Amino acid sequence: MTIPVSTADGPAAKAPTRRDCLKTAALAGAVFAVPTIVPASALGRDGAVAPSERITMAGVGLGPRGQYVLDWMSPEPDVRFVAIADVQKSRREEVKAKIDKHNGDQDCKTYADFEEMLATRPDIDAVLLATGDRWHAQAAIRAMRLGKDVYSEKPSSMTVAEGRAVVEAASRYGRVYQTGTQRLSEGPFAIAIELARSGKLGKVHTVRAHIAPWDSADLSHAWLPEEPQPPKDEVDWDAWLGGCPWRPYNSGYVKGGWRGHYDFHTSCIGEWGAHTFAQGQAGVDALDTSPVEYAYVNNVSGDGMVATFASGVKMILQREGWRGSCGMTFEGDEGSASCADGYEKPDVSSPALLAEGEKLLAEYMERTGRPMNHVRDFFDCVKSRRQAVANPEVMHRTMSTVHAANVCMWLRRDVHFDPVREEFVGDAEANRFLTRAQRAPWII
Amino acid sequence: MKTQVAVMAGAALLAASSSARAQKASQTAGNRRRKGQDELIEVLQKPEATRKEKADALRVLAQVGDRACVPAVAPLLRDEEAADMARYALEPIPDPAVDDALRAVVAEAQGRPLIGAIASLGVRRDVKAVPALSAKLADADPQVAVAAAKALGSIGTLPAANALRDALGKSQAAPHAAAVEGLFRAAESLAALGRHAEAAEVYEALAHSAAPEGAKEVAAKRAEELRKA
Repeated sequence: MTIPVSTADGPAAKAPTRRDCLKTAALAGAVFAVPTIVPASALGRDGAVAPSERITMAGVGLGPRGQYVLDWMSPEPDVRFVAIADVQKSRREEVKAKIDKHNGDQDCKTYADFEEMLATRPDIDAVLLATGDRWHAQAAIRAMRLGKDVYSEKPSSMTVAEGRAVVEAASRYGRVYQTGTQRLSEGPFAIAIELARSGKLGKVHTVRAHIAPWDSADLSHAWLPEEPQPPKDEVDWDAWLGGCPWRPYNSGYVKGGWRGHYDFHTSCIGEWGAHTFAQGQAGVDALDTSPVEYAYVNNVSGDGMVATFASGVKMILQREGWRGSCGMTFEGDEGSASCADGYEKPDVSSPALLAEGEKLLAEYMERTGRPMNHVRDFFDCVKSRRQAVANPEVMHRTMSTVHAANVCMWLRRDVHFDPVREEFVGDAEANRFLTRAQRAPWII
Repeated sequence: MKTQVAVMAGAALLAASSSARAQKASQTAGNRRRKGQDELIEVLQKPEATRKEKADALRVLAQVGDRACVPAVAPLLRDEEAADMARYALEPIPDPAVDDALRAVVAEAQGRPLIGAIASLGVRRDVKAVPALSAKLADADPQVAVAAAKALGSIGTLPAANALRDALGKSQAAPHAAAVEGLFRAAESLAALGRHAEAAEVYEALAHSAAPEGAKEVAAKRAEELRKA
């Protein structure tokens, strides 16, 4: 954003960064023999990571979920968080304390304006985005334009058009992007996915995808009662809203009460569908497309909706059916596999499938070189510059499924979606939901 | 033979009846929609309507509005408080009257209403707006220049691309970054239209600009691919 917010606590640290090293190496070409005394730790001995191998990170909008991911990322030996941006002062200070404690210093810088942070900190390689849903794509696009790689929490787009814009930004600026669908990088889920993909279940005809068993697909347009707006340095309400339609301030939104509001949330379908549609679509090799038909169900949640792919495979949205959260089940004509949080191994129709699944997982990891650790996959990709497992296209296609299912519920009728043209078929009414005009000046 | 004629007549009657029913249903839906829109317009014109009531009306117009609501919504495009929701309503309406209204705002407004109108013209890919938007690339307000660059890129014609190339060498900071973004958009549009040589030229300009390194590498690669195509 170009609105100047001068809350930076000071200049960037002067220690050599990965970017400095890469730049110097590029300039020096093959003659990189500099007769200088360099500490062993800087070269990566003594167990330390050399600057050329260290990924310098910043956080943006880290609430409880973001701080969970921060705690996951920080122990990685080649990762160092150096800054936090948040429109809430209390959050900035909370996260700075956490980062400083981990790093054993007081060097984490705080910013109210994340674009100011990224534009003035060339040392930062990548960002962890964990704002509310409304800002995920908006912030990811802005960060990538500024040359940063992005790990974004989910659901990572608010509309089909916004998801496509993330794909385009990553492609134009050559950035690595990972959406936080971490179950794609967890063993039990990956086994179930590989069993489906490999044909061990026979021809998969049905995928069952868990949607959040709370809230509704009907989102609210109500405004919470107006409260006095805090000083901008404490909560920058204009920036909090970003491109969303204006509404009066209420502290409830800022404390997490934005869920359930149309302008800020993607409903109970997006809440878990962002995960489970990705898992389901991975198992039927449909991460580059979305279902074409969505059959309306007369309830408030979308429970029981059948979304059908062009291949004929049906994906059924379900609120129940697993012993944990974010579950998915594959049903083929020769067997089934099911997994949810808390499953040590997937439930399978035949014990022999488990042994086959373990073998398939090992083969998958060998073939792709991907670890069963979602953030590690991201960091590896930042270094190798290859696509992450939950790359922009994966995010966009699975979030398009979320958006089409929501539109089906909002219009209370069946809808047909064309994943090639990325629009509803002959349906001007539904197509008006493909994008939303953004509030000036927060326009991507 | 008589049976065949009877069947054909019956089929024709059924077809006519279905057609009549479909037409009636269509008119009913149309009437319902018209009535809904009329009521929404009435809300917008009520002096005592609250900001929330107007916002709600504009939100629904984004789903059901057509040309008929443009005269009532267009004046709100200049209103600091209502401009964004007016755009929210108008941006998806596929009627040239919306483009006319937005262009009029660009000619007169300032600040956020101007930035918003520029952005909406980009979303709508209004070719007629190119001269006015090109002039805004040098606006003293950097946010206006940023909006103009991105909008011109979305429109993606050769004149739009040329204006952006000109701005690329003259701008700095946020307007420069927006010119880079605009040129990517324009090059993609030109390439999609089969104008490979022009698209390659745009990418080459980007590859030699002060864009981020990753973007320059992508631009150089795309230029090379287009030259070979």
